[in-house]
Amino acid sequence: MKRHLMKNLAVATALVLVTSACGGGGDEPAKTADGKDVLTVAVWAYDQTPEFKALFDAFEAENPTIDIQPVDLLAGDDYAEKVTTMLAGGDKTDVLTMKNVTDYARYGTRGQLADLTDLVDGLPKESYRGLDSYDLDGKYYALPYRQDFWVLYYNRELVGDADLANLTWDEYAALVKEKTTGDGANKVYGAYHHVWRSVVQAIAASQNGGDQLSGDYSWMADQYTMTQDLEKSGSIMPWATANSQKVSYDSQFSTGKAAFVPMGAWYSARLLADKAAGKHDIDWGVAPMPQPAEGAGVKTFGSPTAFAVNKNAANSAGARKFVEFASGEKGATAVAKIGIYPSFTDDAVLAAYAGVAGMPNDETAKKAFAPDEIMLEMPVSETSSDVDAILKEQHELIMAGEKTVPDGLREMGERVKNEVG
Amino acid sequence: MTRTAAPKTRRRTTLIGWSFILPNFLGFAALTLVPVVAALALSFMEWDSYSTPEWVGLANFTRMWNNSTFWVALWNTCYYAIGHIPLTLVAALGFAMLLNRPLRGVGLFRTALFFPYVTSLVAVAVVWNMLFSPDLGPVNQFLRGIGVDNPPGWTTSSDWAMPAVILTSVWRDMGYYMVLYLAGLQTIPQELYEAAKVDGAGRWARFRHITLPSLRPTTFFVVIMLTISSFKVFDLVQVMTEGGPGRSTLVLSQLIFREGITQGRFGYSSAISMVLFVIVLLVTLIQFRLQQRSER
Repeated sequence: MKRHLMKNLAVATALVLVTSACGGGGDEPAKTADGKDVLTVAVWAYDQTPEFKALFDAFEAENPTIDIQPVDLLAGDDYAEKVTTMLAGGDKTDVLTMKNVTDYARYGTRGQLADLTDLVDGLPKESYRGLDSYDLDGKYYALPYRQDFWVLYYNRELVGDADLANLTWDEYAALVKEKTTGDGANKVYGAYHHVWRSVVQAIAASQNGGDQLSGDYSWMADQYTMTQDLEKSGSIMPWATANSQKVSYDSQFSTGKAAFVPMGAWYSARLLADKAAGKHDIDWGVAPMPQPAEGAGVKTFGSPTAFAVNKNAANSAGARKFVEFASGEKGATAVAKIGIYPSFTDDAVLAAYAGVAGMPNDETAKKAFAPDEIMLEMPVSETSSDVDAILKEQHELIMAGEKTVPDGLREMGERVKNEVG
Repeated sequence: MTRTAAPKTRRRTTLIGWSFILPNFLGFAALTLVPVVAALALSFMEWDSYSTPEWVGLANFTRMWNNSTFWVALWNTCYYAIGHIPLTLVAALGFAMLLNRPLRGVGLFRTALFFPYVTSLVAVAVVWNMLFSPDLGPVNQFLRGIGVDNPPGWTTSSDWAMPAVILTSVWRDMGYYMVLYLAGLQTIPQELYEAAKVDGAGRWARFRHITLPSLRPTTFFVVIMLTISSFKVFDLVQVMTEGGPGRSTLVLSQLIFREGITQGRFGYSSAISMVLFVIVLLVTLIQFRLQQRSER
């Protein structure tokens, strides 16, 4: 009896092990109840990022035998950590959204992404913005579908008829001070500057020719000085308040509490969608980022966003098809129609973008949407993420008033040289 | 007959004993023992979670030794523990003494103090962040109201961020430990206090010579639990300050997470986790030894 029991237990255990080993996936894609191939795509905050639904709907319309199932990782800021953990666990999600180039480089160099170089070889490269950022020693492991760059959002009602097409930072600072009104709960700030380090550091890098990996950061001084001056004059929300209260840039701009907000072009899609849904009634416009001096053209920073195929994808054929679609003309048109600036552009795509109902299309907006130079938000290197952590920590100390600008920048340089090398 | 029956019964009892402990032991082995052993092995390797691990000997420990961020995180962890353990202990014991009396509404007070412990930690962190907000937070508004011209920036100040985190964690945890102390207090025979009163012992003397010694096992348990939780603190710091401003509240658990998950250096991350493991083990062993000595 006992022997039988042990034997049965052993067989059952073996069966469980075998079936669980097989259950994780295979070469054949899973099927839906109505026989469609399942394609899983890792995204963040699906409900608040309308471009994903736009792309998925367009792709499914073109490929009726494929059913896209978003794997929503919810929190945008922790997306990279979640993807890293998934990949470490051998996850088989087919397509992975590459939120920034630094994380892409990590996954790509570790061999966690499928090689898509053959897809890139057939592309009209001159029509793509940001494609070069995905070149890892001649190989491509992701294709961009979106090209973000930073612009200056403004509230027409609060700003009035000021000419914003060629603002210098000095003129911008004067305007921000002028447009600050009220007090206490009724206070309307001239501008809201979000707490991210890029709002100061990447702007300075793109316009002053600074290298964020260099260990010399004196070129950030003017931007910090101007930001702190605006803060001292009460024209922007103190960094400490925004940081401790986890203030969102949208809550400041879409409720009319700030006249200006420097932000990525992606914000247009959210403003459009929320306005259509009746969530706000702001008459907003877009201007080019202010510059250190007039006449040097519009220089700003940005970062492309891309899709990659997981090397362990359960449906790698479907995944490649989707990535090619999303980064190509059809995907570009789908996202352009909801106010996202695509990576691939041609006349038709740009017309679709400019023709979005509610999208600003005056001369100032046209200039903002066609910057002369877009510098990558953070240069791609093996040391990028280490340097990024140091720059973020020192940014916090400077903005919280814990370090003076010269001391903070000097320490930033010393730490990068000593700790990263 | 009896000679053969006794070993059989013993074996059966042993088997029954093992069958009771087996499910828990399997869980412990799979979820604790194996990961700890794996982390120990990984601490001598370089591994990015994907490629084949490479043996690097003591390189991860050397790197740790030379890395200022590790020392900052180690100091911050000790700072947190040094603040959190005694403050929570004193607050928990104080409230337990206060609420161990037949007061009107005592149940309500006990519930109110225990409630933060069962509240979502993220909610606690977010609410305290708002309370500590430098300009608009009620804490600083109160301080300004009583004449403090320059109240601290709390979570945005290098000097005050850790005290703010400690205060929040004390507020959250003291209710749980208060319940433990209440249970301990209720086991002390009232006759002891009555006899001491007859002998002329005052409140302080009764507390010192009866309450404290009687609560020694509870205090030992509370200190062990607080030590372990203090050295492993992660979530509260992550939500309140993310380790900042700068590195002023960065603790070892966060550094382990950053190096492992964010940077993909699982070997280095495991080496730091081994140091944390050894610290917690040593502190706990020392406490056990002290407890044994005091019992002798």
